[in-house]
Amino acid sequence: MINVSHLSKRYGLFTALDDITFSVEGSGVVGFLGPNGAGKSTTMNILTGYLSATDGTVLIGGHNILDEPNQAKSLIGYLPEMPPLYIDMTVREYLSFIFDLKKIRMPKEEHIEKICKESGIWDVSSRLIANLSKGYRQRVGLAQALLGDPPLLILDEPTVGLDPKQIIEIRNFIKELGKEHTVLLSSHILPEIEATCSRILVINHGRLVADGNPESLCENMEEPHLQLILQAPRDEALSALRKLPSVKVAVCSERRENGTCLFSIEEKGDARKEIFSLCKEQDWPILELHSHEQSLEQVFLRLTSGEYDDGHLLPKNDPPSVSSAAADTSADSKEGSDKE
Amino acid sequence: MKAIFKRELNSYFHSPIAYVCIGVLLALYGFFYYNVLLLQTSTYISSVYSSMFLFNMLVIPIITMRSFSEERKNKTDQALLTAPVGTYAIAFGKFLAALLVFAVSLLGSLIPAFVIGIFSSPNWAIVFGNILGTLFYGAAMIAISMFLSSLTENQIVAAISSMGVAVFLMVIDQIGSIVSNSVVTQIINWISFNTRYKTFTSGVFDLSSLVFFLSVAAAFLFLTARRLEGRRWN
Repeated sequence: MINVSHLSKRYGLFTALDDITFSVEGSGVVGFLGPNGAGKSTTMNILTGYLSATDGTVLIGGHNILDEPNQAKSLIGYLPEMPPLYIDMTVREYLSFIFDLKKIRMPKEEHIEKICKESGIWDVSSRLIANLSKGYRQRVGLAQALLGDPPLLILDEPTVGLDPKQIIEIRNFIKELGKEHTVLLSSHILPEIEATCSRILVINHGRLVADGNPESLCENMEEPHLQLILQAPRDEALSALRKLPSVKVAVCSERRENGTCLFSIEEKGDARKEIFSLCKEQDWPILELHSHEQSLEQVFLRLTSGEYDDGHLLPKNDPPSVSSAAADTSADSKEGSDKE
Repeated sequence: MKAIFKRELNSYFHSPIAYVCIGVLLALYGFFYYNVLLLQTSTYISSVYSSMFLFNMLVIPIITMRSFSEERKNKTDQALLTAPVGTYAIAFGKFLAALLVFAVSLLGSLIPAFVIGIFSSPNWAIVFGNILGTLFYGAAMIAISMFLSSLTENQIVAAISSMGVAVFLMVIDQIGSIVSNSVVTQIINWISFNTRYKTFTSGVFDLSSLVFFLSVAAAFLFLTARRLEGRRWN
C-alpha cells in the first residue's frame, strides 16, 4: 500500500528527512513514533502529497504521488496534525463538501450518516464547527478522513484533545479500522502505540531508527535479565547460580539486612526453572523473582537518544538494495523494510 | 471544481463579507443614480458606472483577500491539496465564486436602470456595455487579487497589495502621458486596462478587449495554480 524509498526533505540547509525507506503492505495499524520535530508530520505530508520530497519516491497503492496524484490521493484518508476544518460550516455541510471534493461515488446521505455515527459526531452534525470543542473537532477531522472508505488511512495524532474515555473509544475504533484498512498512525503517546499498533516505525532526527513490532523492539534493545531476591549466604548462592547452564552472568547487586541478597542475572534462554530447582535443593527461600523487561517507553527514550541514528537496529532483508516492492509482496505487516 | 465553487459561495454568503460588499456597492449605486437622475436630471447612466469604478475596484480585494490566505493560515488547504483535485480546479472554483459575488452587485445595479426604462429610454447599449466592461475588468482584477492572496498568509497584506495594483492600473494612463520615451508609452498603452474598459462604456462590444481581460484572468489563475503547486516544494 505504501512504498517509500530513499525519501529526503531539505529546507535550505536543514534536513528534515534523511533517506527514509519503508513500506507497508496489507491491513493493520502501523505506529509512527518519534519526538517532536523528528519528521513525523513532514513524512505524512509527503505521503499525502501536501509537500513534495527533495529526493526519493512515494508510491501509494502503486501510484506515484507525483506522477499520478489523483489516483494516489483517492486511496488516502488523511487527518493532518491540525484538522483542516472550515469553521464557518456545520459538520454536515463540511462532510458533504469533502464528500464532493473527494469525488466519492456512494449514496451520499447514508454514507455521511454512517461515518458520523461511527466517529461519534452524529448528535452534533447540525452544529457549526466553530462552536465545537477540540475533541469534537478532532473527531470531525477523523470523519473527513474516513469519508469514501479509503483503503489507506494516515492519521497524525488522532487522539489529541480527546478525554480519556474518548481516547479509548477512538483507539478501539482505530484497531477496528486496522482489520480492513492500512492505518498509519503517529503519536507521542506510547501506551496508545503499544495498544493499537502491530508494527512500529521509530524516527529520530529525520532518520528511521527502528522498525518492528513492539515486543521485538523491546527484545532487540537489551538482553532480558532477572532480578532475584534470596534468603541465602551471598557467596555460596552466587557461585551456585553462576554454575547454572542458562545463567550467563550473575552478580549480587545488593546485600540486604536479615540475610537476603538481590541478584541480577543475565540469562541465555530461560533460567527460572533451574533457579527454582537450585533454591529448592539448597532450601533457600525465594522472596522475589521477576524478569526485568524494558518498557516501550525506555526503548523509545533510548532509540531517540541519537545512538541508533545510524539505523543498525533496522531489520536487514535479504535482497538489500532491490526495490522494496518485490521484497514486500510476501511480507506481512510485521516486516518489510529495506535498508541498505 | 464544483465542490470548491459551491463551498466558496456558501462561505461568502454565510459570513457577512458578501452582504457587506454587495450592500455597500448597491448603496453607492443608489447614491450615484440619485446624483445623476435627480441632481443632474439626466439619464446618462454611464456616469454612474464611471463614478462607481473606483469603488468596485476597491471592493474586489476585500472579496478575494481571504481566498487563499485564510486557507493557508487555518491549514484547511491541506484538505484541498490532499484531495484528488488539481490545483487549477481549486483556483478556478474560487475564482468563479468570487466573480459571482461581484456579478451579483453588478446585476443589482441594473434595477434602477430598468425602473428608468419604464419612464424613459436610456441607451441600453451603453448600460450593458458598462456592466460587461466592469464585469470583465473585475474578472481580471479578481484573478490578480487571488494570486496576491495566494502569496501571503496575511489577509490584510493581500487586500492592501491588490488595492495597490488596482490604483496602479487606474493611474497607469497618466504615467504613460508623462513618459517621453515612445516605446515605454506604447507598452503602457498596451497594458492599460482603462482604454480597453472605456470602449465598453461607450456601448461598443470590443472582442479584442474581452480577449485581453480574459487572458489576464487566465494568466493569473495559471500563476495561482502554479503557486499552490510550487508551495509544496519550498
